[in-house]
Amino acid sequence: MTLPPIAFQALMAFIVLNAILVVVAYVTLLERKFAARMQSRIGPYYVGWPHGWLQPIADALKLMMKEDVVPDAADRWVYNLAPIVFLVPCLLIFATIPFAPGLGVADLNIGVLFFLAVSALEIVGLFMGGWGSNNKYALLSAMRAVNQIISYDLPFIFAALVPVVLAGSMQMSAIVGAQAGLLGWFLFYPVIGQLAFIAFIVATLAAENRVPFDILEAESELVAGFRVEYSGMKFALIQLAEYAHMLGTSFLGALLFLGGWLGPGPAWLGPVWFLLKALVVFLLVTWVRWSFVRIRVDQILAISWKLLLPLSLLLLMASAFVVAFGAGHGA
Amino acid sequence: MIVETVGFAVVAVVLLASSLAVVLTKNLFHAVLYLAAALVSTAGIFLLLASPFLFAVQLLLYAGGVVTIVVFAIMLTERLVGERIAQTSRDIVNGAIVAAAVLVAVIGFLVQAPAMTPPATAVAEQTVAIGKALVGPFAVPLELLGLLLVAALLGAVYFARAED
Repeated sequence: MTLPPIAFQALMAFIVLNAILVVVAYVTLLERKFAARMQSRIGPYYVGWPHGWLQPIADALKLMMKEDVVPDAADRWVYNLAPIVFLVPCLLIFATIPFAPGLGVADLNIGVLFFLAVSALEIVGLFMGGWGSNNKYALLSAMRAVNQIISYDLPFIFAALVPVVLAGSMQMSAIVGAQAGLLGWFLFYPVIGQLAFIAFIVATLAAENRVPFDILEAESELVAGFRVEYSGMKFALIQLAEYAHMLGTSFLGALLFLGGWLGPGPAWLGPVWFLLKALVVFLLVTWVRWSFVRIRVDQILAISWKLLLPLSLLLLMASAFVVAFGAGHGA
Repeated sequence: MIVETVGFAVVAVVLLASSLAVVLTKNLFHAVLYLAAALVSTAGIFLLLASPFLFAVQLLLYAGGVVTIVVFAIMLTERLVGERIAQTSRDIVNGAIVAAAVLVAVIGFLVQAPAMTPPATAVAEQTVAIGKALVGPFAVPLELLGLLLVAALLGAVYFARAED
């Protein structure tokens, strides 16, 4: 490889961005198929043989050709800017994820922190959309979103920090490196690992606004939440951003708890393993989504503040104690 | 070097413009959005200063946390009051005088300082250094800050308690 580093990074960014967009499109098909099977349906079938594999492309074409409606009462600038502000952080989070040793845009030494910080920006786009639409449903949805994100950001961060403490580094490749060996994955770390993974999954469900935490787009109450006024390509951008964020979080979960690209076989299988593990995390979240019903606002807040936050704080302290006094396999 | 200068100029212009917009716009919600822009461009300055850790913390705490809480407050109060609240600028002249005085003081310091200090050599493991400093020499100030925050939290709970 004789490319200068900056050109290599630009090339990687281009490849990763496009690959992510394709994967995101097909993740929607995966979810629809998965949900359909859970409900004894077949799911998308007619567009493309076999099993409707052209469906995401057809959807994208349809959304691109739809009329772009802007409500008269909307706050035009905020309304038009919101999908972009929403999308950018959701794509930026992939910047620090290494898909194999040395194969990533930038393996920063603050990788995990960068991921958490950038994904925290997503909320700005969300309430811009909710407020800019000038619609009661959208505004209520944005309020609920802000409410929920305040509650679940902390447990999410603390749960994600447990592997960081155990590995003794915030660099993603170092965290994967610390999980080498049989049963070395942090998921298999006695007690702390499993509890932290559960906390991570629950906080992910809430952060992604998925059932049972989807009060902000509760169809029966709020139509479609903060995106109710969006149509055509802007709607597509919002959907894209949500799935990209979901996929990014799945990658993070696979990296923090499931050993990233580690797996049997030759080294070039690494990215394949990583993708498979990320899809496992994604399907786990999807499985919960299609199994449970929506819970009330007060229940959501109670779960966060009374259960998840103390639990994740305790786990963080426990892992710090293990590393400081015990024979942890970290620093 | 040229990249850094141009980058700083761009970020500085965005930062100043959005900061001005925060205080000058009538619309309270727009003010918050400009505030978010200002905080993100501050993070950009940290990035230009080769401090990725501070960049990430700035995004996480300010752009993510503080802005969210301010939005929460605005939405709640607007619902309580039942009408759009506008930002007023009654004391704009007095404010401008105070701001000008502060600016003169800052420029005074800058004039006295040596023209250009050489950029500090980047610490290789900056994040580690910050962490060690926080549990080492700065442990007591850090704990005192925690105490301050707890006191503020208790105060908020006291004000928000149900009247009986």
